[in-house]
Amino acid sequence: MRTLTRRRVLGLGLGAVAAGMVGGCSTPGTTSVNSLPVIPPKAPGEKITLTYWAWLKDLQKVADIWNRQHPDVQVNAVWIPGGNSGGYQKMYSALAAGGGPDMAQIEMRSIPEFILVNGLVDLARYGANDHAGQFDPTLWSQVSFTGGVYGVPQDSGPMGFYYQTELLDEVGAKPPTNWDDWRAVATELRKVDSYLECFSLSDASFFCSLATQAGAEWLTPTPEGWLINMTDDATMKVARFFDKAIDDGLVTTQISPFSPAWFAACSRGGLAALTGASWADALIEGVAGGKGRWRVAPMPRWDTGFGSSYWGGSTTAVLSSSRHPKEALEFAVWLNSSPEGVNGLIENSGIGWSANPAHIGTPRQQPSEFFSGQDYNQEIFVPAAKQQNADWSWWPITQQSFNILADGFRRKATGGTLVDAVADAEKKILTAFTNKGLSIRKVSA
Amino acid sequence: MSTTQPHARKLNAATRRAPWILLAPFLVLFALTFVLPILTAVGSSFTRVTRAGLFGEEGVTSGFAGFANYAQALGDGNFIASIGRMLLFGVVQVPVMIVLATILALLLESASAKWPGLFRAAYFMPYGVPGVIATILWSFLYVPGLSPIVDVAGWMGLEVDFLGADTVLWSIANIVTWSYAGYNMLIIVAQLKAIPNELYEAARVDGATPFQIAWRIQIPLITPALVLTTVFSIIGTLQLFAEPQVLSKVAPAIDSQFTPNLSAFTTAFAYNDYNVAAAQAVLIAVVAFVLSFVFLRLTNREDS
Repeated sequence: MRTLTRRRVLGLGLGAVAAGMVGGCSTPGTTSVNSLPVIPPKAPGEKITLTYWAWLKDLQKVADIWNRQHPDVQVNAVWIPGGNSGGYQKMYSALAAGGGPDMAQIEMRSIPEFILVNGLVDLARYGANDHAGQFDPTLWSQVSFTGGVYGVPQDSGPMGFYYQTELLDEVGAKPPTNWDDWRAVATELRKVDSYLECFSLSDASFFCSLATQAGAEWLTPTPEGWLINMTDDATMKVARFFDKAIDDGLVTTQISPFSPAWFAACSRGGLAALTGASWADALIEGVAGGKGRWRVAPMPRWDTGFGSSYWGGSTTAVLSSSRHPKEALEFAVWLNSSPEGVNGLIENSGIGWSANPAHIGTPRQQPSEFFSGQDYNQEIFVPAAKQQNADWSWWPITQQSFNILADGFRRKATGGTLVDAVADAEKKILTAFTNKGLSIRKVSA
Repeated sequence: MSTTQPHARKLNAATRRAPWILLAPFLVLFALTFVLPILTAVGSSFTRVTRAGLFGEEGVTSGFAGFANYAQALGDGNFIASIGRMLLFGVVQVPVMIVLATILALLLESASAKWPGLFRAAYFMPYGVPGVIATILWSFLYVPGLSPIVDVAGWMGLEVDFLGADTVLWSIANIVTWSYAGYNMLIIVAQLKAIPNELYEAARVDGATPFQIAWRIQIPLITPALVLTTVFSIIGTLQLFAEPQVLSKVAPAIDSQFTPNLSAFTTAFAYNDYNVAAAQAVLIAVVAFVLSFVFLRLTNREDS
């Protein structure tokens, strides 16, 4: 009897502890820091340390410039793996556990995903809109949702057309000004056993940038919920164009940009060009023997839409775990818009395109020896940054959406089409939204 | 007699208490790090979070979901495909590895083996290399442009692609076999060492060849070790994670849901859907349990 009782008591005790803890463990990210009162600025004389998680190289050197000027607000930069390669996973885990840094580097397209888990501080409540004028309006609109501001734009990637002059000269071609020209040049290059470009079936972000350029707006936030429209004319035009280019063998899908195979192909003349973002310059400089052989031209255009597009881009966001959002915002604005911050980021971290149109960075205002002495940043990318689709908006499940698209694109290798992949992805993304309980509907034709 | 009775009862009580006190450190850790997480995961798999508005700014509610998360996990073609992929992987890789481990163990334990200690250590060594490092090492032999194997095959006019959509699974199987064959070999060696010498002597007196000794004496007697290593390998197969995760950096054919565990990882930490991820995790556990159970049932029947 006594053993039975003890065992029973122990069992009940363990059961109660377990039940209590299970009950206490609600799903992470279901409470919002933005409904709590604003956290006041630090007291004068109080010394604080802010932590910034980012995957930028040597960021501490840039933070040290700030640290020398602000003895009371010291910034500690901590390196994390880039974005979805482990950085976001680390942030999500930290947020779920109730910890985390003050600031984190978050890509423009991932901002809504972090809003969804209540991971970000609404910086409008700390006066972020006072600084809006220092930033590119297209980028500012991409961090602004439902009246709030959820990150400070850090860099972006206006796109251009990088090409090897000798290879284009060989077939008597000029850099294409529109995508029909691009097709003609690609056809000519196939005759000399070279490809104009590659098209990766495992990463949908290039396709997404092209659809944006053509004028697509895949998801639009409205007061009644999300509007989805991925099968619009602009997107379908891009999908059909590349379906045909792949079917005709004008691009190679065997090579992904910036892979070892890509560098090798560029180096031996098997690949002539890359439609890519401004940050691709540093990577292209890694092509063996490429010095003086490359130039940059404006991105080819569609018959609709815009002169260029953005590919990539990140923000400095303030995480809901921050106890000093006001000071974090001040640092983020300094880092990403002041001349010393932008120059420091370019020199130490090789940051993408400056988010401050008034200051593209001193190192980017001179001709480049590698790119045939061309002052390509001022000549090509300054105008490109102004010719953007300002209506484009990111949405809360971008990563999942890009994976869904890439899964569909991979089927191109076994007889599928990009057109079908996009149409199918639209349905799946709609379902994924609905599964999260978010309101979404297909735009009515 | 009457005086010893209370004393005996007291002793009895102390004796009864002792195992619990001695077990307590284990039980506490077991409950906190094993039972509780499992219960939390199961609880989470039956919960659903619903957000109203664009981002849930109009209210977030969580409630009982029934089997909705399971339905969503099972309705995900990529997740089902990942389980199918692992079954195919297991059907090929586990037997290959166990046969290899058994042959190595028998060779090392045979009378004519030279320096068995050295070779045992050498075969076991890969197990000491963490899976991530092993994958990085092997990837240098897989990636075209870096790999000497691909180069040599190229000179001979062979075009090998270790990272293609059809081949990458077997490239992973190769890494796993390399890592764990030695470990399984060691378990089998331990069992072989437990076979009494008299049996060998008797067999030799009866004129058994080394092959007959292996086939009729050693293998039947190491069956428990073979069953154990096979069950561990089946469970390990379903939990495959580090190797494909690391290899995906160089192999575009590995998507974010290549294995069941990668799928759950992506759902939890890239899509932030902890509840569906919990449902996937429970499903993986159920499949591992069913497979192990079926395998044990089949082998037990053979015994009897």
